[in-house]
Amino acid sequence: MLLAGGQGSRLNSLTHNIAKPAVPFGGKYRIIDFPLSNCTNSGIYTVGVLTQYQPLILNTYIGIGSAWDLDRKDGGVTVLPPYTASSEVKWYTGTASAIFQNLNYLHQYDPEYVLILSGDHIYKMNYEWMLNYHAEKGADVSISVIEVPWEEASRFGIMNTDADMNVVEFDEKPENPKSNLASMGIYIFKWKVLEEYLLKDEANPTSSHDFGKDIIPRMLEEGKKLVAYPYKGYWKDVGTVHSLWEANMDLLDEQCELNLFDQSWRIYSVNPNQPPQYISPEAQLSESLINEGCTIEGDVNRTVVFQGATISKGAVVSESVIMPDAIIGKDCLIDKVIVAPGTIVPDGSVLKSSGDILLVSDDTLAELLAH
Amino acid sequence: MNKSMLGIIDSTMVHAGLEELTLHRSAAAIPFGGRYRLIDFVLSNMVNSGIQSVAIFPKLQYRSLMDHLGSGRNWDLNRKRDGLFFFPSPSLNKSVTDPGSLEHFAEHIDFFNRSTQEYVVIANANTVYNMDLVPLLDWHIESGCDITEVRKDGASLGIYLVKKTTLLELLDSREESGYLSMRDAANDLRSQYKLCYYNYDGYAVTIDSIDKYYAVSMNLLRPEIWKQLFLKERPILTKVKDEPPARYSKTAAVHNSMVANGGEIEGTVENSIISRGVKIGKGAVVKNCIIMQKSQIGENCVVENLIMDKEVKIEAGVKVTASPEAPEVIRKGTIKGARATT
Repeated sequence: MLLAGGQGSRLNSLTHNIAKPAVPFGGKYRIIDFPLSNCTNSGIYTVGVLTQYQPLILNTYIGIGSAWDLDRKDGGVTVLPPYTASSEVKWYTGTASAIFQNLNYLHQYDPEYVLILSGDHIYKMNYEWMLNYHAEKGADVSISVIEVPWEEASRFGIMNTDADMNVVEFDEKPENPKSNLASMGIYIFKWKVLEEYLLKDEANPTSSHDFGKDIIPRMLEEGKKLVAYPYKGYWKDVGTVHSLWEANMDLLDEQCELNLFDQSWRIYSVNPNQPPQYISPEAQLSESLINEGCTIEGDVNRTVVFQGATISKGAVVSESVIMPDAIIGKDCLIDKVIVAPGTIVPDGSVLKSSGDILLVSDDTLAELLAH
Repeated sequence: MNKSMLGIIDSTMVHAGLEELTLHRSAAAIPFGGRYRLIDFVLSNMVNSGIQSVAIFPKLQYRSLMDHLGSGRNWDLNRKRDGLFFFPSPSLNKSVTDPGSLEHFAEHIDFFNRSTQEYVVIANANTVYNMDLVPLLDWHIESGCDITEVRKDGASLGIYLVKKTTLLELLDSREESGYLSMRDAANDLRSQYKLCYYNYDGYAVTIDSIDKYYAVSMNLLRPEIWKQLFLKERPILTKVKDEPPARYSKTAAVHNSMVANGGEIEGTVENSIISRGVKIGKGAVVKNCIIMQKSQIGENCVVENLIMDKEVKIEAGVKVTASPEAPEVIRKGTIKGARATT
């Protein structure tokens, strides 16, 4: 069950018209490609995608799931939007309420285990390994955790565990963290236990219907077996303009743990089917990722360029992210900037970040250029 | 009136001039432009012109062609009704002499009888062009033609338009008429049919020799040419591969080239076409080359004026060059080591 209803309001104009999981990433992907590809690569072929905020582009993008090989006769991908019940419209008020309202979907398959994912993170993970771990430990719920730097631990939901990785305490954004194992928002439940707790939670009028805030603490309280699954590897929440920029820059690092070129764990996406990129005689390229359909005539350094984008003659672009179909005019100077899809930056523009990473879109362009 | 068209791709011709690239594949399946196969042009033209039923008549070595086309999904031809059809010749081993494409069509006469489209467009699979076929159909009808041949600068492009009923007559009477192919029917001065020639003035080249293959590939580096071939509203569709974007390292220097996804470029590349998944090592120099899928150029290599077929490996420090007048083909899967002679 992939939670993809998030608004991602800290991504500002990037999420005005699209849900956060549909935000472009890494030159050709959208964020949701990572969990969906992880599902396919892990042998999970029945995936419910829960959408709510601005679902049009996300729904169109997912389609029947063929890009991730999830167009299946049995199972496959199913988009699960909120719906009108006989008495009222039931919006997804929290992560747990979203799953609760789709119990019928889960009943249809009556699985042994349910994997809960979020559509907000960039990472590669074999969920099958986590499932094996979960089954071996005989856990009611396993929560995937990652070691974060101690100084950042107070930004996360922290799991305090015993020597056998049993979760003994859960601290949501603790001031004085006792551990640096942060929850990645990835859970595997025994289906019967999940169902029981979702029903209990729904009946509780004071609950905020959230896995981290309500379901997990209650299970701990009632002595269920909660186990932390230690994950090692690249994992990044791309919830802010800065972290989205940073994650794109990470891809340019040759030592980056997130290897897009690994054929054994491909990240699938809807391919735009555009011609190869054209690099003109005067172009200069270094340390960059460039997708098909681009025209590069300028100087591009440490930059991620998405499909159909144009970098015109004399433009100098560095440490930036140029999203699909954006056009950087002649002789522009672009430094540490994210240019939103389809933005046309006029000739001679100078856009440089000082401190915070600039996000340039049609809405903000005029104002930014005035400065 | 049903003005719909049936698309026939005639891939039965064998081109001796392309032998080096067709040892393991038909001309239709020759890789082109970094990510395409030659057949993608005609197939996309048909689909973009509203044709929903396309039949391919291949001959010899069609494994790679079938692998490329699959169910036709990438061209939106995986349909319940109509869609993509594949008709290899049932008499593959029968005759030594080429029986001609009309014979091949006649072997699958049921398909033509069953199709509901009123017109048939028949085209070869090795022409590079982006052409809207609807104006051709309109012109054919307005001019009251029976058989229309598309020409460019007076030479045939191997594209024909006829009514389906006319095609059935041609197939039925092929023994009396002696016609082997549509070309014969369209150029018989004593024909009982009204023969017409439609002049196409967009970019179009039929690739029937290595020289032409090389020249047309290099033409892609001229923006005025690729802008005529790759149009947003009429895209050339191909089999998609989930390759990541091309990656350029600090040491890369790329000028006047086309680069497809999945490439990892660390060396110098000039005036070249680099296909999907190609690796070019540090210090390597690639000039005036066409490098096909998954080939690898090691560190400090020098390669010039080559057509490198798929999965070729040039080991570090090796120099392989040909003269610009006679670009050389390096066969699929070749490994050039330091001690090996060329």
